[in-house]
Amino acid sequence: MNSTVRRIAAPLTALVLAAALSSCGDDSGGSDSGAKKSVTLWMYPVIGDQAASTAYWKKVETDFEAANGDIDLKIEAQTWDKRDEKLAAAFAGKKGPDVVLQIPDQLPQYVRNGSFEPVDDVVEPEKDKFLPAALPGLTVDGKVYAAPIYHTVTTTMYNQAILDKAGISKPPETWDEVKAAAPKIKAAGFSTLDYSASPEATLNLNFYPLLWQAGGKVFSDDGKSVAFNQAPGLEALTFLKSLYDAGAIPRSALTNANLVTDQPFGKGQVAMAITSTPADAKTVAATWGAANVVVGKPLTGAKQVSFGLPGGLAVNAASENVDEAKKFLSFMIQPAQVEGLSKASGFFTPRTDAQTPAADPAGQQFADALKYAVPGEPNASARQVMSLLSVELQAVLTGKKAPQQALDDAAKQANDLLSRQR
Amino acid sequence: MTDARQTPDTATGRAGPVAGRPAPTSQSHRASSPGRRRSLRRPWVGLLFVAPMLLLFLAFRFLPVVGAVLLSLTDYRLSGRWDFVAVDNYTRLLQDGLFHQALVVTLTYTAVFVPLTVLLSLGTAVLLHQVVWGRGFFRGVFFLPYVTSIVLAAVIWKWIYDAQDGLINAVLGLVSIGPVDFLAESGLVLPSIAVTSAWKGFGYSMLILLAGLQAVPRSYLEAAMIDGAGTWQRFRYITLPQLRPVLFFVLVIETIGAFQVFDAMYVMTGGGPVRSSYSLVYFLYDSGFKYFDFGYASAIGLVLFAIVLVVSLVQRRLVGRDD
Repeated sequence: MNSTVRRIAAPLTALVLAAALSSCGDDSGGSDSGAKKSVTLWMYPVIGDQAASTAYWKKVETDFEAANGDIDLKIEAQTWDKRDEKLAAAFAGKKGPDVVLQIPDQLPQYVRNGSFEPVDDVVEPEKDKFLPAALPGLTVDGKVYAAPIYHTVTTTMYNQAILDKAGISKPPETWDEVKAAAPKIKAAGFSTLDYSASPEATLNLNFYPLLWQAGGKVFSDDGKSVAFNQAPGLEALTFLKSLYDAGAIPRSALTNANLVTDQPFGKGQVAMAITSTPADAKTVAATWGAANVVVGKPLTGAKQVSFGLPGGLAVNAASENVDEAKKFLSFMIQPAQVEGLSKASGFFTPRTDAQTPAADPAGQQFADALKYAVPGEPNASARQVMSLLSVELQAVLTGKKAPQQALDDAAKQANDLLSRQR
Repeated sequence: MTDARQTPDTATGRAGPVAGRPAPTSQSHRASSPGRRRSLRRPWVGLLFVAPMLLLFLAFRFLPVVGAVLLSLTDYRLSGRWDFVAVDNYTRLLQDGLFHQALVVTLTYTAVFVPLTVLLSLGTAVLLHQVVWGRGFFRGVFFLPYVTSIVLAAVIWKWIYDAQDGLINAVLGLVSIGPVDFLAESGLVLPSIAVTSAWKGFGYSMLILLAGLQAVPRSYLEAAMIDGAGTWQRFRYITLPQLRPVLFFVLVIETIGAFQVFDAMYVMTGGGPVRSSYSLVYFLYDSGFKYFDFGYASAIGLVLFAIVLVVSLVQRRLVGRDD
């Protein structure tokens, strides 16, 4: 319990102290016109391998500084852990980095607080060369706030051993095929579809892909109200509920977080999952045997949709060297840099004209899924809305509410929230 | 809370050797060694000795609390911009349905967890007190969960409770019961989490109570035995009253711990199902670090502080009245 207190107290302390110290100012930006201008980048372990990461970023620093003699690039390695708390404290104390890596999930909240500078001018010349989800994922209120440097993707993955035991020769690729396969898989003693309904599990990997596949949207086009309680939302939730009631989704779904090793799917109890990543494929290959891992196309409802995110670099609006920071962004989105990052990290490049060739058929399936990727729906209140909705989804799965009722209840709360914040 | 846990002796109410010793008269001191002793007795000298701890306490305990009080009166946002909003956060909190729900969850959890832990630690302490051979071994074994990480314990208990292939359901299955969804039933989730936390934490209270039991004078018990008191009567009328200060300490510490429950819920259920295990600290965490509503989060923290303070004072009146 003590760690709880510490967990809460420490960032708050940091925040208060940072706020108090902010008046002391920070000269590291180097306002001196004669001297080199410095650009600080906060980079996270996108490249999992430490040595490869160091080598890649060292090369970026050397190459960029060679091309821009007047700029001193400083790359600070950060950890994913507590990244929001750290960044929030840094911005609150006006001590944030000039450039920082952002993903669509985080970006809108900072934009709402005025922390980032639009970078439309940086991406404009390369606009047509990005994957369909790359720029929309990093756009808030019509402006691009981060320049994409990598792209992730998820798609459907199957356990061949379970399909074999259930006597299913062709993996189910549509909602109807999933429903048809469920009884056979159940008869063989397994569940059909893995699902995480824990409130801590992001809906981007669970309910939202189903919603998008049904042709629905989370938010209305202007972002001022929610749209998930319309017909497609009901269709997606009814599909989910019918599978859950039929025993096609494991009972532990309600407490599952999105961690493949910990989920029934990873343990070989479930036939398929709809938002698996290349890393998941590697993980399960070790437990199921590589021959049993089948990577498929994104699942199709009314539409074929997968979830995939761009990662991009954003510029601190309070930076003293915004122009230099933007120069660095322009440098980073070039094919040479994104290809290098893709090779080192195993993620994909955000550009259509610079794709790393896939090493194997599974890798090729992931690469093919990129064009169906939806990056989530950026909204400053996206996380709160997710929390409100996931509680109501649990109410449906546990039989406390009917689907339409639950969606309407969540929509009412979400619309209240959105109206308060605009 | 950390400090209180580390100094059980002060809380047990037993007088230390220093306090028990009669104070030397100033006359005798002045006569024996005038200069050195006199300077040592100046008030600021004592302050000098406690200054390092005092400074650390002020910087890392007291100031953040003041910061939280100030934050709770503002609408502090990520950008660093803020407005003074007086008690708006508190009025909003009182009207917030989520707060009411989290409060009910926290109170229910406390009502299950505290008796469970106190009885469990008292029971094991009494048993250990009887054991002559291998007491150290058992003491170590029972204390072991306390020094493991709560996250680790929660993950393991999540597996134990698993509806599909959990240990408990496997056993229940043998007698054709279940499967029971311990973490997915609103009625079962809080007791299930309380059991996990009690298993994890009872070792500490057990040690305190064991020390308390060993401090009960044997002569009282022997006298009672001669008077013909049975085992239960000796426990009820001699041991328990003697144990009261220790019991009070354990009760307060465990209650405070229960009000601050978060980690186990975060790991095991994420607050579900349908917010059945969404505690006040969880609410605070979400407000602060998911929604960056720092003013509101601070207000929740201070209200929680007030609740814990009131509950502790009530406990003091009820249990610790002889201290």
